[in-house]
Amino acid sequence: MKLLTKSTFYFLLLSFIAMVAGGALLYLTIKKVIYKQIDNSLITEKTIIEDQIKQTDTIPDFEGAFGHQIEVKLLNYHVRNYQSIKDTDIYDSKTDSFIPYRFIFSSGNTYEKKGFVITIFQGISEKNELLQDISLYMFFLFFSLLLISILINYLIARRLWSPFYNSVRIAGRFDIQSDKPLDLPYTDIKEFRQLNMVFDNMTHKMRNDYLNLKEFNENAAHEIQTPLAVIRSKTDLLMQQKKLNKESISLIKSINEATTKLFKLNQGLLLISKIENQIFHEKKMISLKQITEYGLDNYKEIMQLKKIKVEIDAVDEAYVEMNETLAEVLISNLLSNAVRFNVDSGFINCRIDNMFLIFTNSGLPLTIDPEMLFKRFHKASDNPHSVGLGLSIVKKITDTYGMHIEYSCRNNIHEIKLQYRH
Amino acid sequence: MKLLIVEDDRSLSRSINDYLKIEGHICEVALTFYDAVNKATVNKYDCIILDIGLPDGNGLDLIREMKSNKLAGGILILSAKSSLEDKLTGLKIGADDYLTKPFHFAELSARINSICRRNNFLGLNEITFNEIRINTDDNQVFVNDKLLILTKKEYDLLLFFMANRNRIITKESIVEHLWGDNVILTDSFDFVYTHVKNLRKKIVASEGRNYIKCIYGFGYKFIES
Repeated sequence: MKLLTKSTFYFLLLSFIAMVAGGALLYLTIKKVIYKQIDNSLITEKTIIEDQIKQTDTIPDFEGAFGHQIEVKLLNYHVRNYQSIKDTDIYDSKTDSFIPYRFIFSSGNTYEKKGFVITIFQGISEKNELLQDISLYMFFLFFSLLLISILINYLIARRLWSPFYNSVRIAGRFDIQSDKPLDLPYTDIKEFRQLNMVFDNMTHKMRNDYLNLKEFNENAAHEIQTPLAVIRSKTDLLMQQKKLNKESISLIKSINEATTKLFKLNQGLLLISKIENQIFHEKKMISLKQITEYGLDNYKEIMQLKKIKVEIDAVDEAYVEMNETLAEVLISNLLSNAVRFNVDSGFINCRIDNMFLIFTNSGLPLTIDPEMLFKRFHKASDNPHSVGLGLSIVKKITDTYGMHIEYSCRNNIHEIKLQYRH
Repeated sequence: MKLLIVEDDRSLSRSINDYLKIEGHICEVALTFYDAVNKATVNKYDCIILDIGLPDGNGLDLIREMKSNKLAGGILILSAKSSLEDKLTGLKIGADDYLTKPFHFAELSARINSICRRNNFLGLNEITFNEIRINTDDNQVFVNDKLLILTKKEYDLLLFFMANRNRIITKESIVEHLWGDNVILTDSFDFVYTHVKNLRKKIVASEGRNYIKCIYGFGYKFIES
């Protein structure tokens, strides 16, 4: 849940509870006040009537005097003094409905010890309506207050948190390979300034580490080339010596193999670091069909020897804009795998349409986890000469151009699917 | 042929010198840019083997110097940096070929031969060796004056052997020569074996002699006798 949503939600919940409680309290208070008023006026009327009865011993003419229904009865006997105020509903035949009334029932005695009973009814539907109106207004008032405060809260929070979201967005776009600074916007909130500083320091350090590491790799790879050339040349010379005994031959052979492997390794790593450094930035339109045909041609004799059947089904307009060398390395590495890991009398099928390049080939079951296939130094073969960089170079190239590559295998048919266009 | 080796690494320049001397070339070594410019402007070389990363100058400047003084002779660049830009610049300003360190001597030898062949166009487009004759213009091979049909790889292999007669050629160097060093085709020694076998079979079938000898543990040797 977003911070803003969460804070708004809590605010809403709490204000709702507060408003319901406050509203109820207010409603009850107003109701009490109104009833008290009604009761007071009923008591006042009753007292006036009572006084008159006591003074005159007759029932005064009250018809319409207070606009209320008044019933007075004189009794010939003594009654208990009693008074109560209650609610009641009285049926009204005109409107065919019950109308709410507040009434006072009072009994007392005159000076001549004659009892009387006074009942005064006051219609309270008007008052109830008033109460309802007040409640309604109150509800609207509260509701709009709530809405306004939520809105204000939301706006303030959004404004307050915007430097945070900005920083997160910018930091999320951080690319260790680009030399542009993170450039986080200034904010007057101290905590966020601290956060930005942490971000800045962290990325700066990360980039420095990365550059150091990259530089080390490049230097190491370059500087290894010349000593490697010396070793290779000396081995070459050593090999040409006459009268070598069997032991020397075996030693030289091992040196030669190790040198070749080291050379391949170094070459692969150099290529990867060069791709990372965007040395191959020159682009042109490459015909995938042409480059695949060229690549297949390079392995023609090998495929004939292995009796591998090749099928190519490509559209002419399959073009991709990329560096020519990298395109060659990409296709050649994929084809080399398809040839190397193929079986005798197997097949290679190359399909190229406007979006995909799909190479399928027969082969032996894969001995490693397909997930690890594109990782460095994960070899599918137990061949001691293989260095395990081919597919990680392929992955590096496809990543550089934002292409998607995936591997799948079913019934020992291996498929590499390259989506070269979106 | 007269060659100048420009390479600042003493050990490597000595090895190149030794190897090319056995091949029958006359070699001189320059360890610095200054030395190289002096030698190249005074003497005439058939081919200069040039390391462009020199401590006191860029080898590319030597090429510019030679071309502006209209000095003849082929140039083969040696570099530890296999950067494409260096390669393109080098070839653009007049170098004939480019070889990345570390290289096989067999490859170096083949490249030098090819440069010299291209530069001396006085009938040297033909390599003759006993009953084998190769026309490098038309890429045709004749054995006892009879045309021998070879695949492209077999043809390349024969030329490679020709450039390195009487020397042991490793299987690794054959792989790199035939398939290029961008190709990671490390378990293709079987294919080298098959190519060599087929080439030998074809030559023998045309009544040529079997010159290709297998050297245990190393590779092959093209022997004259």
